[in-house]
Amino acid sequence: MAQVWTEIKEVFPRTEAEFPLQFSATIDPSLVAVLERARRQLYSETEAFILEESAQIVLDFSWERLNAGTWRDVNKEWRQAYSYGCLFKVASLCREQPCEARACDAIRTCDMALLMGAAIMNNILQTLVEILQQKIRKRHSDESSHAEECIVKKQREDCVPVPEVSRENAVPRTSCPSLEGFRSGFLTLQKPVILQGIIDHWPAFKHHKWSTEYLRAVAGCRTVPIEVGSRYTDEEWSQKLLTVNQFIDHYILRKVDGSSVGYLAQHQLFDQVPELKDDICIPDYCCLGDGEEDDITINAWFGPAGTVSPLHQDPQHNFLAQVVGRKYLRLYSPEDTEKLYPHQSQLLHNTSQVDVESPDVARFPEFVKARYQECVLHPGDVLFIPAQHWHYVRALDLSFSVSFWWS
Amino acid sequence: MVWFGFGFNGFRQIYKAVHSSEKKDYLEKNVEVKVTVPVRLASCNSDGTNEKAHDHDASTSKEVVCGKAEEKVIEIRASWSRRGTLILGADAHVCLSGFGTSAQTVCDCVPESRGCRDAQLTERHLTLLFGDRAECWSFDTWGGLPVWKMEFSEMAGMGSPVALPLVPGGYITTNPPMFRTLSPQLRAVSLALGLEHAVLLTASGSVYTWGLGSHGQLGHGGLEQEEEPRVVEALWGVAMAGVAAGSWHSASISTGGDMYTWGWNESGQLGMPARGLQEERKHTDQVEGTGSDTDGEDSRGVFISIQAFPALVDLPEDSEVTKVSCGSRHTAAVTGKGNLFTWGWGDYGQLGHGSSCSSDQPLHVDFFSDNALFVLDVVCGPWNTFVSVVEREQSES
Repeated sequence: MAQVWTEIKEVFPRTEAEFPLQFSATIDPSLVAVLERARRQLYSETEAFILEESAQIVLDFSWERLNAGTWRDVNKEWRQAYSYGCLFKVASLCREQPCEARACDAIRTCDMALLMGAAIMNNILQTLVEILQQKIRKRHSDESSHAEECIVKKQREDCVPVPEVSRENAVPRTSCPSLEGFRSGFLTLQKPVILQGIIDHWPAFKHHKWSTEYLRAVAGCRTVPIEVGSRYTDEEWSQKLLTVNQFIDHYILRKVDGSSVGYLAQHQLFDQVPELKDDICIPDYCCLGDGEEDDITINAWFGPAGTVSPLHQDPQHNFLAQVVGRKYLRLYSPEDTEKLYPHQSQLLHNTSQVDVESPDVARFPEFVKARYQECVLHPGDVLFIPAQHWHYVRALDLSFSVSFWWS
Repeated sequence: MVWFGFGFNGFRQIYKAVHSSEKKDYLEKNVEVKVTVPVRLASCNSDGTNEKAHDHDASTSKEVVCGKAEEKVIEIRASWSRRGTLILGADAHVCLSGFGTSAQTVCDCVPESRGCRDAQLTERHLTLLFGDRAECWSFDTWGGLPVWKMEFSEMAGMGSPVALPLVPGGYITTNPPMFRTLSPQLRAVSLALGLEHAVLLTASGSVYTWGLGSHGQLGHGGLEQEEEPRVVEALWGVAMAGVAAGSWHSASISTGGDMYTWGWNESGQLGMPARGLQEERKHTDQVEGTGSDTDGEDSRGVFISIQAFPALVDLPEDSEVTKVSCGSRHTAAVTGKGNLFTWGWGDYGQLGHGSSCSSDQPLHVDFFSDNALFVLDVVCGPWNTFVSVVEREQSES
């Protein structure tokens, strides 16, 4: 890990005077005093552990503020203060030529800023995490094994129930329609369709073929949010922060026994790890929307066979691109909302109470009267889900999908 | 009255080494940010002036106590970055230590506080209660006038001033507009304010809560917020004697000395099994090679993240609880036998066990019993803890 600090140091402003720390009255002056103390320690010969202590005070205090009310209402300045805490902690961890464990801790700290903080100093934490990750990767590039691929293959052979998709209910398929053809045939009519052949050129299918090995190499030490529990409507459902390596070990390869299902769901992984973004492309059909390309939300959905997203609807159009494994989907039109028994609470009003594949007919008698479409997505398929269309998703294999929300 | 303090000392609010020549050096290095073993608090002179700095070294300066301190009635108020010492009696006033106070003196006397009966300290404000008025002073704009003031007459039928944050007709909020009315029918006797919730005790021993309920801190069984005071029905019929509020949790003690906690158990602050702490322990065990891979529950049962109804918490010692206080994410209780128990978040040493470990079960603080001290009272700051004691023989006589 030699040279790490030399490279990291280059990213920081050269002098204390050039290092910005400007806050409004929102941030308590006492915390600003600790931030200034940390900045002074960063540019003086103060021992690393003292800087780490100051950084931790900033992190602990702003963490409490981030959790004060509802996440939406948290002032952006508190999220920036949190990022400063992360920044000082990264500096303290890297200052004395870090061992690999400390470098990984620094990467985790950068990720916490990217996940919970707000961008500061030209997104300096993104710059830092890329440098650190390069260092870690160089050390691992030689180590590769096919053992994992074998485990994954074996899992695929272990049968999971694959629903019969009846012909009359099947979502139609079409190959590379023209923009106009897609618009008039499906978008305007708000009709679901599976587009084939439109993502075959993605590097994720070719020279950067997505596998657990590849994800470990590109993002193994990156911290991501994991949903634990079979579905988000369950009592026992919770969210955890794990590294991609930990997630693969625990929930994909199941090296540790445990019954719970883990799902890297609805996470903007491609903003966090730009290298992965290079492996995919935004479908051209998104240009038919009114929004700018920057307004498109790209989410990663990575998990083992058996993950379930309960029947729900989203406010935007969705292109669900299947990259690895198969997924079973059930779609209901918004016209049938009344037959789907949405939850009453504000938080879950876009989610149905019905367990789609084994409905409680006594409680939800109207449900069986609702018309639906269904499909099994295979690698290379892209499903168009019109805005407000109800959808239920179950992974049949180890699965990696990418969703594009657009308007 | 003798007070001890432990926990977060990032602004020297528990103790500071007073040293004239190498001041900066001291501030950066020699004073601990985390005080894990209780230290006796220094106090100012009886005339209210500050004890002048002498050339004490760090160890003796912890022991600076003015001669008459033990005879005075002293209360402690703490915010995150400051400590207020409220001296009651003939020459009542407040002294501050911590953020923004002089590095040379033990503490700074607040002239505006002369004659006060009670004081409340938050990160931004010092509230003072006098016989005929209440005043809020802002630390951001100190000098000149208080940012909020209320005058009241004891004759006007509004009742006499009670205990802050309660004032006649309502209570002082932690943020502007600084005041909110409370129905006189509630007959409030004490009020504890969390980060975004309030816990009130009435003259009849009922508990009312309101504010944010996102972490179960209101104790009504749900996570909804309540605009108006709502009685905690689960405690109905058990007369309560004291209430306390942490940032996201609450506690109360009954007249019979039973203790109840509810809200967020993120760091074990409810004294119930917390998953996060178990995972930390597991990690340590694995590093030490003694790990077992049990998951899902500990020996006491399932993990509690949010406890939305009050739950009875037993202390290891079969004794009634006389006082409870909550820090941001920790809790401290005093028993009738003069023992102190602490649990919850311990990263800054606020549990007083000589380490920065957290605990999800109440642990006895050995320091006081080892030193033959009888604990009378406990007051938690957000990240620290203050304890008043007398010598054991004194209390038993």
